[in-house]
Amino acid sequence: MSQTQTISLGSAAQEGVWGRIRTVASRRTEGRGLALLAVIIIVVALLEPLVFTAYQVTLGRIALVGIVALGLTAVILMGELDLSVASTLAVSGVIMASIPDLTLGIIAALATGLIVGMINAFFVSVVGINSFIATLGMLFALRGLAFVISDEAPVSLTNKDVGIAFGQPLIGPLTPRILIFVLVFIAIQVFVSRVKAGREFFAVGGNRQAARDAGIPVTRRIFTGFMISGFVASLAGVINTLERTTADPTAGSTVLLASFAAAIIGGNYLKGGRGSIVGTLIGAAALGILQVALTLSGVQVPVQQIFIGVILLVAVTTDPNSLRSVAGSLRTLRQGRAKSPGS
Amino acid sequence: MRKSRVTFAASMLAAAALTLAACGGSDDSSSADAGSEDTAAEETVEETVEETDDGEAAEEEAVDTADGPFEVYALLPQGNDQPYGTTYLPPMEETAAELGINLTITNSEYDADKQASECEVAVAAQPDGIILWPAVADSIRPCLEAANNAGIPVWITNADVNPEDTDLTFGYSGTDSYGQGAASAEMMCEFADGAEIGVIQVNGLTGNSVATLRGNGFKETIAELCPNVTILAEQPGNWNKDESQIAASEMLTSVGPDNVQGIYAADDTMVAGAIDAAAAQGLDVDGLIITSIGNTFLGNPLVESGDLDGTVFQSSSWDGENAVRGIYAAMTGETDLGRDDAGSVLYMPNPKVTAQNYDDPAVAPEW
Repeated sequence: MSQTQTISLGSAAQEGVWGRIRTVASRRTEGRGLALLAVIIIVVALLEPLVFTAYQVTLGRIALVGIVALGLTAVILMGELDLSVASTLAVSGVIMASIPDLTLGIIAALATGLIVGMINAFFVSVVGINSFIATLGMLFALRGLAFVISDEAPVSLTNKDVGIAFGQPLIGPLTPRILIFVLVFIAIQVFVSRVKAGREFFAVGGNRQAARDAGIPVTRRIFTGFMISGFVASLAGVINTLERTTADPTAGSTVLLASFAAAIIGGNYLKGGRGSIVGTLIGAAALGILQVALTLSGVQVPVQQIFIGVILLVAVTTDPNSLRSVAGSLRTLRQGRAKSPGS
Repeated sequence: MRKSRVTFAASMLAAAALTLAACGGSDDSSSADAGSEDTAAEETVEETVEETDDGEAAEEEAVDTADGPFEVYALLPQGNDQPYGTTYLPPMEETAAELGINLTITNSEYDADKQASECEVAVAAQPDGIILWPAVADSIRPCLEAANNAGIPVWITNADVNPEDTDLTFGYSGTDSYGQGAASAEMMCEFADGAEIGVIQVNGLTGNSVATLRGNGFKETIAELCPNVTILAEQPGNWNKDESQIAASEMLTSVGPDNVQGIYAADDTMVAGAIDAAAAQGLDVDGLIITSIGNTFLGNPLVESGDLDGTVFQSSSWDGENAVRGIYAAMTGETDLGRDDAGSVLYMPNPKVTAQNYDDPAVAPEW
C-alpha cells in the first residue's frame, strides 16, 4: 500500500485566505504604486474634487504622461533602457507634418518609430552596445534630425482643421488621445501577459543567459521590445502633432523623465524581469492625477518638484530588495564593529 | 487659501510617504534605481486685494467689488528657473494684488505639449481669464479655441501668437521680438559705417518663436540696410552662455577668426559667451563690432567696458505688469476679442543702449 505525502514548500506552505493573499501579492509588483494611487485619489477627492469632476482633462493628462511609458515598459521588462523615446516622438511628428498628405504622413511617422526601434535593437543585441549608450546616441541623432527636417522651426499641418477636430471628444467626453491610450494599454498588456513572445520578455530580463539556454530567441525579443517602444513613441508624436496642429522639433522635452517616473512608481524593476504594464498604468495615473491636482491647487513649482522627488525616492527605497540590502549592510557594519575591538 | 495649499501639499506628502513606507514592508514588489521626474513645474502665487485710499483706486475697488476678485490662470513657459522669469513674476504679482486678481501661475518649461495640457486644466477650472505666454506660438490655436468656446478671455504676453490666431485673443503686451532683432541690426550697420565686414550670429533656442523672430529681424534688416555686412555663419546658443561660447567658438574656427569683424547674439547672456570665445581665439574684442539684446545685469557692464557696442533694452517688470493689466482690461470689457481696440496691443519700449546712454536710469538693467 503506497502512502502519498505532500510537502509544501515556500509560499505554498502558507495556508488560509491571508496566506493566499500574501502569495498573490508577492508575485505582483504594483503594490506600492497602487497604494500611492489610492492615497492620491482619496486626498485629491477631499481637497481638489475638480480633478475628478473634470475627469476628461485628468484622463488626458494621464494619457499624455502614460502613453510613452507603456511602450517604454516593454523595453524595461527586458532590463534595457530606451532614452530615445522623446526624440522619436519629435522626429515622427516633424516627418508627419512635413508630408502634405496626412495619411501618408502618419504612416511615415509610425514607420519611423519602428525603424528607430530596429536600429536601437541592432546596436544593443547585435553589436552589443549598452542600451543606455546606444539610445543616448540615438536621442541626439534624432533630435538633430528633427531640427534638420523642420529647418529649425515648427512645422504646421497643411490642414489645421483636421488637427483641431482630432482634439475634440469622440465618445462622450473621451478624446481620441484617451481612446488610443486605452487601446495601446490593452494591446501591450495582452501581448506581455497572454502571448508567448511577450511573456518571454520577463525571462529575457530576469536572466538572459538562462533565457538563451531555454531556447528563447533573445535577440528577436529585444528587437520586438525596442520596436514596440519606438512605435508607441512615434504614435505619441502623431497624436501630439494632430492635437497641436503643429510639429515642434523641440517636442517631448519633459516626456522622457515622466515616462521613467511612471514606470518606476508602477513598480517596474529597471534591471528587468519584474514589472507590469498595469503597474505603469497605475504609475501614470498617479502622476497624472497628482500633476492636475497640484496645478489646480496652485502649489509652487519648487514644492511640486520636492514632492515628486520624495515620492520617487520613497518608491525606490521601500522596495523590499532595497530594504533587505540596507538591513544586510547594517548587519555587516554592526558585526564589523563588534569584531574590531578584539582584532 | 495659501494655507490650504500648504495643507494640501503637506498632507499629500505625509500620507504618500507613510503609506508607501508601510507598503514597502509587506509588499514584495520590486522597484528600481533612482529616477527623476520632470513633473509639472507649475507655480502659483495667490494675491489678495489690497486696501487703497486714493480716489482712483477706490473707483477701481468699486469695480472689483462688483466683478471680482478675479481668478486668472497665467500659463507661462518659464518662471523662477530663468533670470527673466524671476524678475517678470514679482511685478506681475504686485499688479495682480493691486487689481484684485488671484493668479495661478504654471510653468511648462517650453514644452508645448505640457502647456497645452495646462491649458486644458485651466479651461476646466473656468477662471475669469487666462494670461498666455506661448511656449511655441504655432501650436497654441487649440488652446485658444478651447478658451473661446468656454467664454474665457485670453491675453497674450511676451511673445505674440501667429497673425491668423490674433482674432482668438483679447490682446497682446510684450516685446516686438522682430523689432528687437532689427534694432540690433541697425546698430550693427551704424557701427560698421559702410565697411565690408563679416559677422557671426548666435541665435536663441531653436524652434522658439522669440528666437526665430529676433533672428529674422536681424538678418532681414542687415540685408535691407547694410549689404556690406555679411553673415558668415549662424548657430543656436540656446539662451545659454556656455552653449553660446561653444557655438561661437566653432563658428570662428569654421569661418576663420580673421574673417570675423562682428558678432550678433540674440541676448546678453549669449553675447557674453560669444565674447569669451572671441577672446579665447586671440581676437581683439574691442576691435569687433558686437551687438545684442537685453541690457541685462550681465550685458550692461559689457557695454560700460566697451566689449559690447550696443544692446536693446528689455524690461521684464514692464512685461509682467502689463500682462496683468491686459487681462484685467479684457475681463472688465475695456478690450474685446480681436486686436481692434485701442489698448489691445501694448508694445514694450525697446530703446537702444550704447556707451552713450548705458548709465541712464531709464534703461537701468532689471534682470
